[in-house]
Amino acid sequence: MPVVDIDPDELRELTGHEEKGDEELKSDLFGLGLEYEGETEEGLLQFEFGPDRLDRLSVEGVARSLRYHYGDARGVAVPDTNDPDFTYVVDANVPDERPYVTGAIVRGVTLDEAALDSLIQLQEKLHATMGRKRAKGAIGIHDLVAIKGDVLSEEGDGNSITYTGIDPEGDTFVPLDSDREMTPAAVLEEHPTGEKYADIVREYDRYPAIYDELGLFSFPPVINGRRTEVSTDSRDLLVELTGTDQWTIDRMCNIICYALSARGATIEDVEIVYGESSPEGERTLVRPDFEVETKSVSHDRIERMLGVEFASEEVVDLFERSGLGAVVVDSEDPETTSYEVSIPPYRVDVLHPLDLVDDVGRAYGFDELEPRYPDVGTVGGRHERSRLEAATRNVLTGLGFEDLLNFHMTSETEVYERMNVEVGSDILGGGDPVRITEPYSEDYEILRPWALPSLAMVLENNTHRAYPQDLAEVGLVAERDDDVNTRVRERRHVAGVLARHDATYEDAKARLQTICRDFDVDLETPPTEHPSFIDGRVASVVIDGEPVGVVGELHPEILVEHDLELPVAAFEFDLEALGDE
Amino acid sequence: MKLPEPQVAVLNAASATDELSIDHLAEETGLKPETATQAVFELRDGGFLGVAEAESVAYELTDEGRAYVDAGLPEVRLYRAAVEAGAADGPVQMGRVIGAADLDGPEVDIALANFGRKGYGNIDSGELSADGDADTESDPEAVALVALANAEGDGETRAEADTLADVDGDVLDQLVSRNLIERHERTVRTVTLTDAGVTALMEGVEAAETVDRLTPEMLTSGEWADVEFTEYNVEADAPEVRGGKTHVLRQTAERVKDVLVGMGFQEMDGPHADADFWINDCLFMPQDHPARTHWDRFALDVPPIEDLPEDLVDRVERTHREGVDEDGDGYHSPWSEDFARAIALRGHTTSLSMRYLSGTQIGDLEPPQRYFSVEKVYRNDTLDATHLLEFFQIEGWVMAEDLSVRDLMGTFVEFYEQFGITDVQFKPHYNPYTEPSFELFGRHPTTGELIEIGNSGMFRDEVLEPLGVEHDVMAWGLALERLAMLTTGAEDIRDLHGTLADLDFLRGAEVTY
Repeated sequence: MPVVDIDPDELRELTGHEEKGDEELKSDLFGLGLEYEGETEEGLLQFEFGPDRLDRLSVEGVARSLRYHYGDARGVAVPDTNDPDFTYVVDANVPDERPYVTGAIVRGVTLDEAALDSLIQLQEKLHATMGRKRAKGAIGIHDLVAIKGDVLSEEGDGNSITYTGIDPEGDTFVPLDSDREMTPAAVLEEHPTGEKYADIVREYDRYPAIYDELGLFSFPPVINGRRTEVSTDSRDLLVELTGTDQWTIDRMCNIICYALSARGATIEDVEIVYGESSPEGERTLVRPDFEVETKSVSHDRIERMLGVEFASEEVVDLFERSGLGAVVVDSEDPETTSYEVSIPPYRVDVLHPLDLVDDVGRAYGFDELEPRYPDVGTVGGRHERSRLEAATRNVLTGLGFEDLLNFHMTSETEVYERMNVEVGSDILGGGDPVRITEPYSEDYEILRPWALPSLAMVLENNTHRAYPQDLAEVGLVAERDDDVNTRVRERRHVAGVLARHDATYEDAKARLQTICRDFDVDLETPPTEHPSFIDGRVASVVIDGEPVGVVGELHPEILVEHDLELPVAAFEFDLEALGDE
Repeated sequence: MKLPEPQVAVLNAASATDELSIDHLAEETGLKPETATQAVFELRDGGFLGVAEAESVAYELTDEGRAYVDAGLPEVRLYRAAVEAGAADGPVQMGRVIGAADLDGPEVDIALANFGRKGYGNIDSGELSADGDADTESDPEAVALVALANAEGDGETRAEADTLADVDGDVLDQLVSRNLIERHERTVRTVTLTDAGVTALMEGVEAAETVDRLTPEMLTSGEWADVEFTEYNVEADAPEVRGGKTHVLRQTAERVKDVLVGMGFQEMDGPHADADFWINDCLFMPQDHPARTHWDRFALDVPPIEDLPEDLVDRVERTHREGVDEDGDGYHSPWSEDFARAIALRGHTTSLSMRYLSGTQIGDLEPPQRYFSVEKVYRNDTLDATHLLEFFQIEGWVMAEDLSVRDLMGTFVEFYEQFGITDVQFKPHYNPYTEPSFELFGRHPTTGELIEIGNSGMFRDEVLEPLGVEHDVMAWGLALERLAMLTTGAEDIRDLHGTLADLDFLRGAEVTY
């Protein structure tokens, strides 16, 4: 979940509530769903919140939410924007993988250290969330003073920058935190930030690049050039975002613009000029996109979802206190009353009218709702397999077995090599393993094809504990089978081990007999061979005529391999054999 | 009268005039000391014997004390060497004397300390002078050590205090504090016949037959009616007996299932390895959601799923791209059917809920319905005391014509109350598949701490519409291990679950009910 770091003094200043103490602010923010997590070394307060309200990733957005919460602000607010002076030209060479760009010019900012830190934090948090670690969208913020706009040749009345794609070795610039000229390819190899984001562009034929009249000044999504670096002296900023989706970068841009506007900056539109070769063809967009969208929500849906009756004025009030605008439609008839709700352009989480119902609920206060038990009757019951498992466990514990619960994921070595079983052999436990594509560790790389190896591991880890150790497990085993829809044949096996000084085949078979008698199934044990067991002391478990498992004395090689100094008799078979079908 | 055999023997051996010790009686009767003791107390309780208790003190030489019996006390050896060196006439160098006295190690300090204490002389600035009149021959401590050595009996290293009557008590205390002898105290019980005891003996006492075990033969022969049963020490510890026990986490799972069945829930069942379609796409999880990246999920190295309901796949794809309803929007994220068809270990059992709600598992469901499962899920997380790579998730949902957030709250308040968790709090939360969504918090029954106990919400229209569900569905999920740790007090989840399990922990775990 996202975490936002907040300077409480800044929060007091931006909300206009100088009188609020830190504790009071924490409690107010908890009400908004921001949970206090702790303090940073610099004394900033850290709050964790759900990843829906990404407009709260900086102190400016949090302050805005609080102002609505306190009732100091109501309804939708959209900053005024000045007419465009800059044009972002998208060149035909732009990488196909990253064709979109957006941005804004921001003038008259006053960036003290705290404000600059906050801006950098917001940028990084947006990268981590909406930007999907910059792969989907990346933000570049530049000092406008350092940019020399190429005067547009035809109209001659504006500045422009160009978003294009270049050969990895095609040009050089001095990246941030460096003092030498590098090619984009060299940045990926030699610059720490470059190494971090290299994976995003490595496969591209052409690398994304942004030019002004003076040349290359940004290598999105990796790093900006040092020439346009923003400092506390910066007054006017050029904001550019590139990415794989226009909507996503437009919304990220809006969140940045709202944050800077809250600090008194003026937003100036830019024109984005796409050429013929861009995915949507030739078109010109004016950005930032501050269009206010509307969605219609019915009064009935709000009441049914929250289980509360409302007057329509009350609903409008709750919408406005959430920073939304609302107009009542068809107020005469409560059955068909609905609201035309306007949504500010910094909101990225409203996909459906029901998201607006949630906002009403939050503004009303979910803790105000009285819980009630739903007045509908249903009949409860266990799944048949779950009952069979439970009944089998009852029989096993009655026979004195300690019931175990082992992981389904294990290592290939444990289930094959250490049990003398070859992969793909036609015996219990010999099936093809289901492999995990990128295993977390060698200990958890496959699903276990049988359960006895898990029990042997438990015996191995408990040689210092008192004997006898009679252990059993009813649990999942799985093997690769492409004839199954999910390609994984999942079964439940019943496995047991008797580790005692005088354990013999007979001890295992005796218990097997009892289990089979309890479930009223026929047991036969014709001799068989299995490399985990002693020859001549191992049998196939045949239940109602079907071979379903194996019973025998574990081979001394297996015992020694598991540091066991006493005999172990064991069995394993398919749980379904005990069932009715 | 009839008494058990040991009591008869003790009664006969006891005297009305002489106080006899229990050891003496045991020797006399040939009974084991503990049997004799038990008989004595039973007779006392019957009023036949009087028992007097006296403290007996004995002394025993320590190894150090024994060494000094032969070699002499270090201070005495020092004095003699000093006199020989002429210290009686004037101060002499201490080092020389110590060498001549053949003292070394800790003996030097012992000698010097006691030399001064006993007035054998003075030590000043590394020089030593001796009092020529001191009588070391009759040093009371040395004399007492020798007396103690002489008083030792055959093969008996302890000397009873009364054999050392000549030795001053203070000297013995001094020797104890010098750790040259040890003092042993014990209670000696002596026994005399009471008047009732004498009377009983005069009237004649017979031994009653007592038996140790009730045998089948006694029952069939009727002999049991004529015998007395030996009394057992019923307070003594018995040997350990171990039975099998259902795994402590299973017990919690069974308890959860009981509660849910009691609340009208039916149990779901379905595959652990499943298509991402059922695990995530049906849940309206965008394909570029961080939880769907490779480092959070266990993708399996198998071909994609063979069959998915094609029309459902189309509806789900359309929903991801365009949303549902006139005013609904989709995600601005890529969506590919290949990803949806890829097989992974389920990260939550909500995949089962999707299969059931879609009607493909057990057919179309008409409201009202309640379903649950308590099954394993797999998350590529860091393994530590509170996180496992595979754990049990409690999953539940309710479908009805008309459900509100209040119904959801009421259901959970009821459920958690069954586990002693009251004061459930609902913190508004965000999930891609539910709206509104709540994190559930409850008070720990013993520590009173507020802890997260689940995640819940009303399934979104984007989840329900493609599945063809036209009613309200509320759902929730919770880790069983978290509930088990709460109810069993386990601190490391790995003790509970997996091949590192400690058998002693499982054997000793408290039963859940």
